[in-house]
Amino acid sequence: MNTETKEKLSPFHTTILVHMIQTGVMALILPQLLAETFGTNGWITVLGFGLIATINILLIGAVYKLGKGRSIFQILEQSIPKFMLVPVYLALAIVWSMLGCMAGKEYILIFQMYAFPTTDPMEFKFIMDLLVFWLLTKGLYNITKASTVFFGLFVWMFLLLFFFYTDFSWSRLTPFLFKGGHFTYLESMDIYSSLLGYEVVLLMFAYTNKKTKFVKSVLIGNGMTTLTYSYLSIVTFGVFSLEQLKNKAFPVLEMLAYIRFPFMERMENLLYGFVLFTVLFSILMYEWCALEVLKQIFPKLKANFLAFIVMLTCFLIAYIPKTLNEVGDWLSTLSMIESGIAFGLPILLLVVLMFQKMGRSPAHE
Amino acid sequence: MTFSKALRNMIVKESASQTNQDDQSPPEQDSKPPTLAHTLEEFVDCSDITHRTFPDHQIDLVYFDQLTDKDKLSRHILSPLLSGSDEDVAKMVKHLQPFKTTSSKTLILDVLSGGIAVFHGPDAYVFDVYSPEARAISQSETETVITGPHDAFTEQINTSLAMIRARLKSSHLKVIKLSVGEVSKTDVYLLYIKDIVNMKFVEEAKKRIQQIEVDAILDTNMLIQYMDDNKYSIFPQYLTSERPDAIVSKLVAGRVAGIVDGSPSVLSLPTSFFEFFSSSDDYYQRWILGSAIRLLRFIAFVITISFTALYVSVTTFHYEMIPENLLMTLTESRSRVPFPPLYEALLMEVTIELLREAGARLPTKIGQTIGIVGGIVIGQAAVQAGLTSNILIIAVASSAIASFVIPSYVMSASIRLIRFGLIMLAGFLGNLGLVFGIAAIVIHLSGLTSMGTSYLNPVAPFKPKDWKDIFIRAPFTALRERPSQSSSPNVMRNKTKE
Repeated sequence: MNTETKEKLSPFHTTILVHMIQTGVMALILPQLLAETFGTNGWITVLGFGLIATINILLIGAVYKLGKGRSIFQILEQSIPKFMLVPVYLALAIVWSMLGCMAGKEYILIFQMYAFPTTDPMEFKFIMDLLVFWLLTKGLYNITKASTVFFGLFVWMFLLLFFFYTDFSWSRLTPFLFKGGHFTYLESMDIYSSLLGYEVVLLMFAYTNKKTKFVKSVLIGNGMTTLTYSYLSIVTFGVFSLEQLKNKAFPVLEMLAYIRFPFMERMENLLYGFVLFTVLFSILMYEWCALEVLKQIFPKLKANFLAFIVMLTCFLIAYIPKTLNEVGDWLSTLSMIESGIAFGLPILLLVVLMFQKMGRSPAHE
Repeated sequence: MTFSKALRNMIVKESASQTNQDDQSPPEQDSKPPTLAHTLEEFVDCSDITHRTFPDHQIDLVYFDQLTDKDKLSRHILSPLLSGSDEDVAKMVKHLQPFKTTSSKTLILDVLSGGIAVFHGPDAYVFDVYSPEARAISQSETETVITGPHDAFTEQINTSLAMIRARLKSSHLKVIKLSVGEVSKTDVYLLYIKDIVNMKFVEEAKKRIQQIEVDAILDTNMLIQYMDDNKYSIFPQYLTSERPDAIVSKLVAGRVAGIVDGSPSVLSLPTSFFEFFSSSDDYYQRWILGSAIRLLRFIAFVITISFTALYVSVTTFHYEMIPENLLMTLTESRSRVPFPPLYEALLMEVTIELLREAGARLPTKIGQTIGIVGGIVIGQAAVQAGLTSNILIIAVASSAIASFVIPSYVMSASIRLIRFGLIMLAGFLGNLGLVFGIAAIVIHLSGLTSMGTSYLNPVAPFKPKDWKDIFIRAPFTALRERPSQSSSPNVMRNKTKE
């Protein structure tokens, strides 16, 4: 913990962390959602969604610049009485911890479906939550260090996409744009939620300094995610036909099942295992946000104890949704709220900051 | 502490910082004048102490015979006394004047360190004639190299220091002498190169050694465990080596070295996880070979921790991962085995560890027998008896061999132990267990520090500049800077023009 107050985030670590938070299970479902919602060449929309995320990050960047690097809690608590903020904090903590919890459960349920149909998924969830709790107690600086190593253990998987170059056919991409899809706002929100995760940087202000080049690092992280998602989607759209893609639950996993080496094949569950390395950070950082907020509500309680309570609650709540569909519903609702938070919270902060500026300016005159 | 108090401590932050540290004990009274009576009283019941009296000259000698150089003793002290001439004795006493001592404590310590106490009337002198029986310089048993220097440190602290000094003819090589162990009073030398080292490491190492309050320190590997940042970790947090060339290379890289009297291992700090994978001869070979071998070691690391675990995971849960042609062979060899793969693997792994441990403890000639007996028992009999499958033997043997590729014995032992955890996780949770295990190792490693610096340097914090001397061994002209972990004030180390 000592190092956390001393060490500030470096630009590289921030970029990698943002990329790792954003990348998750949604990457495996994304091509199917794109095909269903937008139809032919749906992958192009990923770039558009990436742009929306960029605008959102710039909004957060404005808060960071105007607030001069103060944490959002300092900004809020300067103008709004704490008793009014506590319910907001509590609500945020609930949303964030539930998001982390459901993302974890989704990952586990997919693994269970592929490899362990008879095992109780909560056994896996227990170990996963232990790992998350362990990382949570190590502090943000160590989390970023771990994220860099996990990034190294995960990033090579993009090389696997080379295997599909032989099966890739440009004709499947067709010259038609967005034909054969069924656009709904709800589904497009789901697609957008695959890029969510960058908004947790709102709580990292206190851990940065000028050297972090905060906004730039976050933007690069988001750019990396957008590009990798687009690349993954192009390859998937070129390997499967539109109709196939629409009917596959996890097209990327099915693709991975085709990879074969002379000594090993059908490695999709091992490769899916490696996805844990990035999913871990999506879960972890939402839980970390919940923890940061709870620390503000209960300043006298120890962080590790709060982390324990958060993880215990998550573990117990994860018992409620039983099937992948139920978890998907929970996630859809939560990510819709989260998209609201991602835009709403920076706007609220900007308003507060403007009031603070207006209130302060007469004193200067 | 009551249970409720302990629980409260876990939940609620402490209101004010509490300190339960005692004040440092006052320095021992050191002003007592040295007397023969007091010295003899101090060494009462030490049957190995030698006390010789020369009443004609009013001289008494007190020393440990086994610690002294007989020749030096006879030449400087005994001959003048035995010759009986007053002139000679007066000359000798005159020679001894610079060695006069006024403190009883110092005198006793010096006698214990191989000095001879000479009492002449009211005065006392201590003359250093220290020369214990020592092992000759020989080759290191644990860190052998094919090319490069073959000499290794010995248990004698001064010999080890001399081997470093002989390689670094610089007045900037500084040595701090410390003593550790309340009973053993073991000498520890901290070495660093002024202007290259970052003094914060020297100060911190000194502080940590001075804080040790224990009866005896017998080896460097024991000392470093008292200095660890994370005492409960399985990984070594300081690099130890028996090779002078390795330690000299650490010193010039801006690290601090520490020699402990009585130990042939010398420590270097700070260190990182990846440093344990390099060996001296990487630098003595062509860079491409050196790089290839280094990469091979990292592959060996992956094989060691994952090979057997993957076998267990695949044969327990994921048979679909094996290609059809291989599947026939595998099922055939597995079909006679009555145990689940987890038991089968653990049985073999434990046997291999038994063989290794037995081989390490036995003299070389018997050790060879163990190898042959073990090889036949494991290789043939176990398969024929249907206790294990052929393919498992290949997996277990290759991961054992791979573990020995890692140059540091301490690191390789840690990694071998971790493997058992991974095998069990793979046995219970399949590939997911394996991934959980790897994640746990990474999480643990990323929290570790060595002297306050990240143990995962130069991966996290991300310092790609250092990678060319970690994952590969780039040509010397490319290795221009000292590693960032040592945060040296003098970064450039190589100004050779290309």
